[in-house]
Amino acid sequence: MIIMQRVLWIFKGRRLALIGLFWLCLVAVVALIAPLLAPFDPFEINPIMRLSEPGIPYLFGTDHFGRDSFSRSVYGARMAIIIGLGSVSVALIVGGVVGMLSAYFNRLGHFLMRVVDVLMAFPALLLALVLMTLLERSVTNTIIVIGIVYATTTARILFGMTLKLKEEVFIDAAKCAGAGHGALLFRHILPNLISPILVQASFIFAFAQLQAAALDFLGLGLPPEIPSWGNMLSEERIYVTRAPWLLIFPGALIILSVFSMNLVGDVLRDKVDPRFKLDIKGI
Amino acid sequence: MPLLEVKNLNLSVLTGNDLLPVVRDVSFRVDENQTLGIVGESGCGKSLTSLAIMGLLGGTPISMTSGSIVFSGQELTSLTNKERRSIMGNQIAMIFQEPMTSLNPVYRVGDQIIESLRKHRQMTKTKAKKRAIELLDLVKIPEPENRVESYPHQLSGGQRQRVMIAMALACDPKLLIADEPTTALDVTVQDEVLALIRDLQQRLGTALILISHDLGVIANTCDYVAVMYRGKIVEAAPTADLFSNVNHPYTHGLLNSIPVIDRDIEWLKAIPGRVPTINEKLAGCAFNPRCNIAENICTTCDPEQITLHDDHYVRCHFAKRGTND
Amino acid sequence: MLVYTFKRLLACIPTLLIASILVFLFIHLIPGDPVAILLGDAATPEDIAALTYEMGLDQPIWTQYLLWLGNVLQGDLGTSIFFHEPVLSVIADGAETSILLALMTMIWIVVFGIPIGILSATRHGSWVDQITSGGAMLFASIPTFWLGLYLILIFSVGLGWFPSSGFPSISDDGGLLNIRFLVLPSLTLAAPNAALIIRLVRASMLDVSREDHVRTAKAKGLHPMAVSLRHIFRNALIAVAAAFGFTFAALVSEAVVTETVFSLPGIGRLVVQSILRRDYPVIQGVILIIVVLYIIINLLVDLAYARLDPRVSLK
Repeated sequence: MIIMQRVLWIFKGRRLALIGLFWLCLVAVVALIAPLLAPFDPFEINPIMRLSEPGIPYLFGTDHFGRDSFSRSVYGARMAIIIGLGSVSVALIVGGVVGMLSAYFNRLGHFLMRVVDVLMAFPALLLALVLMTLLERSVTNTIIVIGIVYATTTARILFGMTLKLKEEVFIDAAKCAGAGHGALLFRHILPNLISPILVQASFIFAFAQLQAAALDFLGLGLPPEIPSWGNMLSEERIYVTRAPWLLIFPGALIILSVFSMNLVGDVLRDKVDPRFKLDIKGI
Repeated sequence: MPLLEVKNLNLSVLTGNDLLPVVRDVSFRVDENQTLGIVGESGCGKSLTSLAIMGLLGGTPISMTSGSIVFSGQELTSLTNKERRSIMGNQIAMIFQEPMTSLNPVYRVGDQIIESLRKHRQMTKTKAKKRAIELLDLVKIPEPENRVESYPHQLSGGQRQRVMIAMALACDPKLLIADEPTTALDVTVQDEVLALIRDLQQRLGTALILISHDLGVIANTCDYVAVMYRGKIVEAAPTADLFSNVNHPYTHGLLNSIPVIDRDIEWLKAIPGRVPTINEKLAGCAFNPRCNIAENICTTCDPEQITLHDDHYVRCHFAKRGTND
Repeated sequence: MLVYTFKRLLACIPTLLIASILVFLFIHLIPGDPVAILLGDAATPEDIAALTYEMGLDQPIWTQYLLWLGNVLQGDLGTSIFFHEPVLSVIADGAETSILLALMTMIWIVVFGIPIGILSATRHGSWVDQITSGGAMLFASIPTFWLGLYLILIFSVGLGWFPSSGFPSISDDGGLLNIRFLVLPSLTLAAPNAALIIRLVRASMLDVSREDHVRTAKAKGLHPMAVSLRHIFRNALIAVAAAFGFTFAALVSEAVVTETVFSLPGIGRLVVQSILRRDYPVIQGVILIIVVLYIIINLLVDLAYARLDPRVSLK
């Protein structure tokens, strides 16, 4: 109840963002109970019924294998959440460790940040593509690749914020009280970074959806048989003139989810500590 | 005819769905060539009053709810935006508190002075630039021919405030409003800038409204003083009269907090407490929680403005009516 | 200004060196023997040994790097496995399409992004602002290829206004009119980036409008339009210029997808095809060129920044 009230307070006056948050929760719930919701097996091929129009029993129609598009979309929600949470975790852990340590230990930081800067010179999708050529197409590898791409920006941002915090009086106070490196980083610096990290996470989640869809489209993301929204678009794009609905539904799902996440991220950023406003990207 | 006459000015701030009054029933007049000082602690509404006269409240949550502002016989509040802008920076000009941030960092100071000349005087670029150099010379900036090409970050705080003054005087305004013009400056520079304003005011015959939290600054500069407390003028009088005949306990408190060099006092008396915030509702006189002579009537009944004698007005239940001791 | 430019140029060198090492290492990170991959399945062990010797792959890795760097500096980026042509000429073939596409996209971004951003900021809070800034965020949330497919569906298949794919060179028949092949691709590519610029212009203008000097400008009696453009926008431009490098990176990423959707013979599609063909020298060459280009663009952005903000050049 208290959580609900707090959420309502944060989203006060931002009705569209609240709808976005609701949509994201819905996607999460659908992802959790996908097997209960999907009327058909998302992998079941039924050539007789291929490219049928939306209606009953195929709510979103069927694809060129005769697979039920609605069931695949439901399972696609699962992939969206897995890819999103997975890449956010990789980006935050790798980027967070690199960024915070670089800011904390000057000499190490100088070297690490140079490498991060160079990696940031590679456009995101290009870096992801190159990494994917070195790896097999799989869910884990897609997550790792997208995570690493956004770990660079995360590291840069957290580097800046940790540097700022290091100058604060309360850090000196903690040092005087005898706090060690570990205690300073985790008990004193990290808690102050939680809210900007949360904002960053929401934007990474949104970008990750778009990157994953682009990788799927280029045939370098998830293995083709996996039901993700990006794969559904990629596989059916040659049928766009005959069965335009096959691209409408997964496309709309991606757009709605990314749009919602951006709206939520925007609201969170407005609430964040003004000290860090300038550091957070994702305009 | 007074140059500026403000009558029953009421300003309110919109917070949520409520309109909270921040300036109440403020009236005063400024004659040509006269200087008026408005004094009070921060948050008393003195800056808002000046912004209202200037016409700079647009785009802020503050709005004028009632009252009239007559300048040179013209009712400013009934003018269109365009007519208002033709007076702004031309006949009425303003100097702000923060010289460090009040100049646009990307333009040369000369170009910033030229802007109002081009707008209000339709001068050519070369002519306007010549005038800008004259103005910089007028505000005693050394090497004005070179300084006109400087960017604001290349000038010191005091020089920037001089530029602000030059900018304000560009179109020979009839009325100059200076809102805490020296507060943000180093103490050593404060006096120089203040002396410059005083000197220019006398030489050019411009009327001046000087806003300050420092009664000492006002006393040295102004012919007439209005003391504001929480959105109201609590005492107003010609400067000499105000100092010889203090009536409001708040004015008294302000006077006691001025350090006097040639007198040997160990402690400066500060006024106890603080200015109540605008959303604190107070019954009676707004000053009563901090007043040392407050009685029951002060907590129930807000005092009306009374006239002591010519030009000396006060809002206090215990004002010494009619006496002149 | 000259000193600043020189300093800034010097600062690029370590970045370029680290980038070149990363790009060089790329071929060594590929699982398996690079020579075997380069030669394909039909290679005999003798062939492999011969090419290993020829490429200097039997030498220590640092020597290899210096040899490679030396070649690169002379314009030799290796030979494409697929085309059996120098990598540089393979890339050069795609340059015309990509450069024209980028230019057209830039025009859209400037023409739509900046005025809409200014409009949104000056009408802050009104319904105009809500629609434009909400719309901008929506466009930034659309997958590029999806937008491209639907533009083809509507404007090529449906209305027949523009061709749906390919791009004949402007030196071929049709001359400059061939530009029409790039209208839909450049719009696709511009949409998310213009959206980004709209949001950026709006956000930085709102930030600037809270600064004290804007009040000074208003107090001069200037027209609100003059205050918005000459004072607020001019200062906001500094932040917009700073983000331009970021836009370039986003542009390259999305160009890869767009060129694939519209089957344009550009560098972006070349990358994707080379990855699918495992044509590693071409991938390496393209990455190197893009990274160098990115560093040059950032250098130009910094120099522009110093011109836009008089406070910078003195530091």
